Amino acid sequence: MLTVENLTISFRTDEGRITPVQDVGFSVAEGRTLGIVGESGSGKSVSTKALMRLLPGNAEIGREARMRYTSKSGEDIAIEALKPGSRALRRLRGGEIGMIFQEPMASFSPVYTIGNQIMETVRLHRGLNGTAARDLAVEMLTKVGISNPGARVDQYPHELSGGMRQRAMIALALSAGPRLLIADEPTTALDVTIQAQVLDLMRDLQRDLGMGMIFITHDLGVIAHVADDVAVMYLGTIVETGTAREVLKSPAHPYTRGLIKAIPRLDRLDARLEAVPGDIPSPSARPTGCPFHTRCAEAIAGLCERVTPPEVRLAQGRRVRCHLHDETRAVA
Amino acid sequence: MSRGDSETLFEIRDLEVSFDVGKRGFFSGTRKQLKAVDGVSFDIRRGETVGLVGESGSGKTTVGRAILRVIEPSGGQVLYHGRRGDLDLAHATSEELRAARAEMQMVFREGGLDLAPLGPRALRPLRSRMSLVFQDPYSSLNPRMTVRDIIAEPLVAGGLMRDRGQIDARVREIAARCKLDLEHLRRFPHAFSGGQRQRICIARALVAGPDFVVCDESVSALDVSIQAEIINLLKDLQEETGVSFLFIAHDLSVVARISHRVAVMYVGRFVEYAPTESLFFHPRHPYTHALLSAVPEPDPDLPFRPERLQGEIPNPADAPQGCRFHTRCPFARPRCAQEVPDWRELTSDHYVACHYAEEFDFRRARETAHTDPVKEREPT
Repeated sequence: MLTVENLTISFRTDEGRITPVQDVGFSVAEGRTLGIVGESGSGKSVSTKALMRLLPGNAEIGREARMRYTSKSGEDIAIEALKPGSRALRRLRGGEIGMIFQEPMASFSPVYTIGNQIMETVRLHRGLNGTAARDLAVEMLTKVGISNPGARVDQYPHELSGGMRQRAMIALALSAGPRLLIADEPTTALDVTIQAQVLDLMRDLQRDLGMGMIFITHDLGVIAHVADDVAVMYLGTIVETGTAREVLKSPAHPYTRGLIKAIPRLDRLDARLEAVPGDIPSPSARPTGCPFHTRCAEAIAGLCERVTPPEVRLAQGRRVRCHLHDETRAVA
Repeated sequence: MSRGDSETLFEIRDLEVSFDVGKRGFFSGTRKQLKAVDGVSFDIRRGETVGLVGESGSGKTTVGRAILRVIEPSGGQVLYHGRRGDLDLAHATSEELRAARAEMQMVFREGGLDLAPLGPRALRPLRSRMSLVFQDPYSSLNPRMTVRDIIAEPLVAGGLMRDRGQIDARVREIAARCKLDLEHLRRFPHAFSGGQRQRICIARALVAGPDFVVCDESVSALDVSIQAEIINLLKDLQEETGVSFLFIAHDLSVVARISHRVAVMYVGRFVEYAPTESLFFHPRHPYTHALLSAVPEPDPDLPFRPERLQGEIPNPADAPQGCRFHTRCPFARPRCAQEVPDWRELTSDHYVACHYAEEFDFRRARETAHTDPVKEREPT
């Protein structure tokens, strides 16, 4: 339902051009969840904001970028070609693609009640008014497991706890009936017991509604339990994709391997953690060649720092950007 | 642990901290009190890392700050067993240092010194014995000071060293131990990444050779690949210097990795305190069990069956009667709503506050067949 190809995003800043996303491609199928994992500065949020055309004014989407989305009515939309402020774009945002952010307090308006904000969405995208809109708002709040929804609907965001607010945020995003839901670190600000509740809820809702979902997180533990497919990002490129099981069980890229080894696990207390050496370079000083070569223990001298690795296809539809897997390398 | 294995450094007895949370009415003048910490007792040994976990609003940060006397406890004792003569500053040669040492010895007595009632002046000589590393390495470094001056600050402020050359030598030594590039000492903090900044904060915390450092969510803001390095660094520094850490975090797997013993807090009280192995593999309190089951592990083969807790964490200003967890506990019985459970030693060194802890046996599986998928696929 969504295919992204050759997405490059750059920003004009006072210090020159920086390119936080370089040549990224991924796709999401109906009813499946794509997990995007990456550390800070990997470009995971920026690339999904481009899908909603929510990038700030100094951002530029590269000319070769293709973002194809199939709408509810079956028509193909080229997201990159939509005019800012156009009707089609407004219909896409919310109505076709819903979004949930990390900090629900920042995404709700503090001066309107939860109900008001859900009803506004319902009015815009579903054409319901008055009591019908209100009933739907209450129904959505019930669906996300908010107790006493009839009263909560008239409360302001600050009156709800963090977990409640995130549930209300999910209700808001779902009330427009999107086909695709983008969740940007939706549980990062929550406590673990509340996170477990929200993850459960999102999985159930997705199954019931058959939505596609893009789930952005830095937590591989969360990925293991919500995502069908996963894309690992590092410094603006996708270094590895595949099913979540395959990638976590047998990571192909040295970065993914390093990341998995660096995670402290609860069932292994004694072993010393293996850190990935060095620091994440800043996006304005992006290394040439493979972006990971500065920290990679297996880097091939004379190659990795010069040549950007091609995307190599492995078994089971997996893809990895690494010279180590490139069998044509010796020939070239 | 490197030295003085089971020697107690801190004994915390019935620690209480309350905050005023605004007047009820404009004229009534009665203030509402919020007990952020309500009767917490535990001890910290020399050279040990005690992990403190809990969800937001549990009061874990407040415990750490009350021990350091950054905030005023409203009740209880914080007994500090000073090192008495053995100061462990790497360069304890100067006159100033000896003077500081003598001054401190005067306040250490047999049976520990209670920090809770001490005023600012009496605390002053103790300040350099204790330190704090914060969560956010971006806001905890002064942008107008060089890294060298930031790290030297505790030595200067505590009056431990006055000679510039001596200070420089000590700063360089601790910076090297914290794996900072000595070239970087002349720079300002803005030039550094999150991981480097946190190493600067750690160097600053350890420069005066403290007995005790509170690390309050010190790795939470860092990326996983950087986090592991900081955890390893803290462990190494503890080996070398014998410092004790109180490691406060909400991330259980990080705490498990660094701590010798772990305490679990829920709405202002401790519910369990035990050596790391027994707490994580054999928890006795239903809340600890629920918390552990809610952590998703990065392995799709491990079943993820979080214990479903009902409802939300109670507001500490309006804490439930009896056991504070009874409103969400799947095993709650009528007694739990009425009687506050005692804080008791269930088995050796394993403390728990639950009426029915004997009945619970939440054993968690250790990793079974140790096959490391990562190693198997190493490309050749």
